[in-house]
Amino acid sequence: MSVENGKNELSNVDKSSIMSHEGNTKWLNAHNDPVASLYTFSSCMAFSDISGDGEAKLVIADLGTGTFDMKLKVYKGTTLISENAIIDLPTGVCTFYMDNNEPRVPAIGVASGPYLYVYKNLRPYFKFTLPPLDVNPVEQDLWNQAREDKIDVTVLREMLDSIRREGNEGALTVRSLKFLMLQDREQMESFANLHKVGQLRRQTVITCLDTLHKSTAEDDAISCLVVGTESREIYVLDPEAFTILTKMAVPSVPVFLSVSGLYDVEFRIVMSCRNGNIYTLKRGMKMAKLCFELNSQPVGLQRVGKNIIVGCMDQTLQCYSTKGKKLWTVYLPAAITTMDVMHHRLKGFKAVMVALRNGEVHVYRDKFLINSIKTEDIITGLKFGRFGREDSTLVMSTKRGGLMVKILKRNATFEDKDSVRGPPASQQQKLNVPKKTKVFVDQTMREREHGVSMHRMFQHDLYRLRLTTARAFVKALDSSLTPVSTNPNEPIKLAAQIQGIGPTFKLTVSLQNTSLSKPSMGLLISFLYDEKLYSLQKTMIAVPLLVPGLNYTFETLVECMSDKGIADVIKVFVVKEGRSTPIITAVINMPVSETMVVV
Amino acid sequence: MGLLDYFARLFGSSKKEAQVLCVGLDNSGKSTIINRLKPDESTSEDIVATVGFTVERFQTPGVRFTVFDMSGQGRYRNLWEHYYKDAQAIMFVIDSSDKMRVVVAKEELDMLLDHPDIRVRTIPVLFFANKMDLRESLTSVQCSRLLELEKIKNKQWHICASNALTGEGLHEGVQWLSDQIKL
Repeated sequence: MSVENGKNELSNVDKSSIMSHEGNTKWLNAHNDPVASLYTFSSCMAFSDISGDGEAKLVIADLGTGTFDMKLKVYKGTTLISENAIIDLPTGVCTFYMDNNEPRVPAIGVASGPYLYVYKNLRPYFKFTLPPLDVNPVEQDLWNQAREDKIDVTVLREMLDSIRREGNEGALTVRSLKFLMLQDREQMESFANLHKVGQLRRQTVITCLDTLHKSTAEDDAISCLVVGTESREIYVLDPEAFTILTKMAVPSVPVFLSVSGLYDVEFRIVMSCRNGNIYTLKRGMKMAKLCFELNSQPVGLQRVGKNIIVGCMDQTLQCYSTKGKKLWTVYLPAAITTMDVMHHRLKGFKAVMVALRNGEVHVYRDKFLINSIKTEDIITGLKFGRFGREDSTLVMSTKRGGLMVKILKRNATFEDKDSVRGPPASQQQKLNVPKKTKVFVDQTMREREHGVSMHRMFQHDLYRLRLTTARAFVKALDSSLTPVSTNPNEPIKLAAQIQGIGPTFKLTVSLQNTSLSKPSMGLLISFLYDEKLYSLQKTMIAVPLLVPGLNYTFETLVECMSDKGIADVIKVFVVKEGRSTPIITAVINMPVSETMVVV
Repeated sequence: MGLLDYFARLFGSSKKEAQVLCVGLDNSGKSTIINRLKPDESTSEDIVATVGFTVERFQTPGVRFTVFDMSGQGRYRNLWEHYYKDAQAIMFVIDSSDKMRVVVAKEELDMLLDHPDIRVRTIPVLFFANKMDLRESLTSVQCSRLLELEKIKNKQWHICASNALTGEGLHEGVQWLSDQIKL
């Protein structure tokens, strides 16, 4: 059950951090029952003055364990005043006025399976059944044959399974689906014998429920019920006779509904569907029109004014216009569990409340976060409205089955963090600009008068600089003065260094073939130097075959013959036999030699 | 206070005047309590929700009360503070059957006691834990604990359970209040 599931998560949230959470100070903790054993969602919660005494009650359809113990619970304040058992899993709860009789007492509608149960004065009043769907003729035929014992259960099973595998799983009746779930033959036989006599019916299931005012917009005006079904249809039901007023089709199964307007005048139904698209329906339409497609599955849909706000599985809150134009996106710190609209009547604004998986509830007015509440548990159901005699009450049901009631403080104000549109405030600040000096003014005048010629002069110099650079580069390339070969046929890298303090130095030349696979052959290293100053041990080094990638070092001794403390450069050339220009060149600046010390 | 005054008061010839501010949440029974305290000939049959405020007068032996019966509805609660300055006593009515809104009453009380016109003054505060007849109602002890009345240090306060429909508990409270004012 939900109690176990929620235990591990958020258990590390300590209470003091919740108490001191900034957003929580705007709310009064009216009630917190962590063990209310409620298992419910936002769609199964409603506020309504169901006894007509001026105090709004909280109506909750409790999903129980999910298989049994489903109940319709009514809370007056914090006390449970009524419990009614529900036969099947509830999918939605709404309250609506079905007549104009005095005293004005609204009815409660509970959607459950293919039925809509209506309660009045907390007593069952009416059960509306959705019209049955057509049964697959093959399936009907199979069961007819089974009834006349023409086919045995294994054949029946195989044939039904083949229909199912054709992709018509949703088109089968509940009876066939249950039959297909049975494993052994005895069970199948007893099931078939028990049920084959009855008439085969295919029913759909209510997926979502909302109300729509019929002809006047007052809060206590008569409302129609809007029902979305698994068979991709939207029904509008008459509240007095419970007849179907309108039937409209949707391309996919509707999951969340948002209804506005008046049935008799003009209305609009916005729905998010299981295929991740948002559709709209208006009065007179037979088929829903695509409004926009989402790139993630919607987990909540609310309307604020003319905007549609959708919470998505990718932790975003997205806002669209009714025309389907995206207005903004807010990225949330955690996944969304549920959403509700916060209509603050006293202050006259509407905001969206979003419950997150990290146990927080964020309140967004437009795209600005105006408040965040921290709770001890993950919120699964969220409802803001008039509860008891308090206009702005927030009721939350938690994953572990708790019930929390928070009341907004009377003098709580919400501020948009960045409600100031346009340039940031820092742009308005005056800078401390120093006074204009005469030099500055003269310079400015000169620049203003000779702007064109200054620009031309600058461009002219720039071109000359570029030209000089290019020439020097070409020259360097032509004479191979660079230590890295630019000739693609001889990819060689040269590094030369001088060691020692003199008068005898060691000159080390290292060569590396930088090509991938091509060996270099027939290379020679020669040196160019002032013969009066230096004498080299080897003036020419024959380079063996250079294997690609390896580093070869060649050494020669250099003796400085002068003791006057002067130095010169030695150029190292790598040349190829039969070519006049060297492949690469290195220039070595010789250090000043120490004088010979005769010991 | 001279001997003459004492005698004058004893014979009720010169009564003390006191302005009392009656506040509390909506539907807590403020107007009903005041209606019950008024002389029998001027009580009204139906009590409707107060809009803004009403001024009522009644007297006990010794004190002539002028009560400002403030509306408790959320949108009128910001009127309260305009009358703090002239109030010589506060009457705070709590709906003891409405457990959920005790926090709201506490919030309003805390704001009242923290108001500059009230904070430094030593005026008496009388609490009525009203609707004591209802089954689910809180006792006066529970009310005082939930409202943290023990934290009120610089004022005389008194809480009594009451039932404004029958008048039970009202005179005890008003007696305490007139004793406080006469001091």
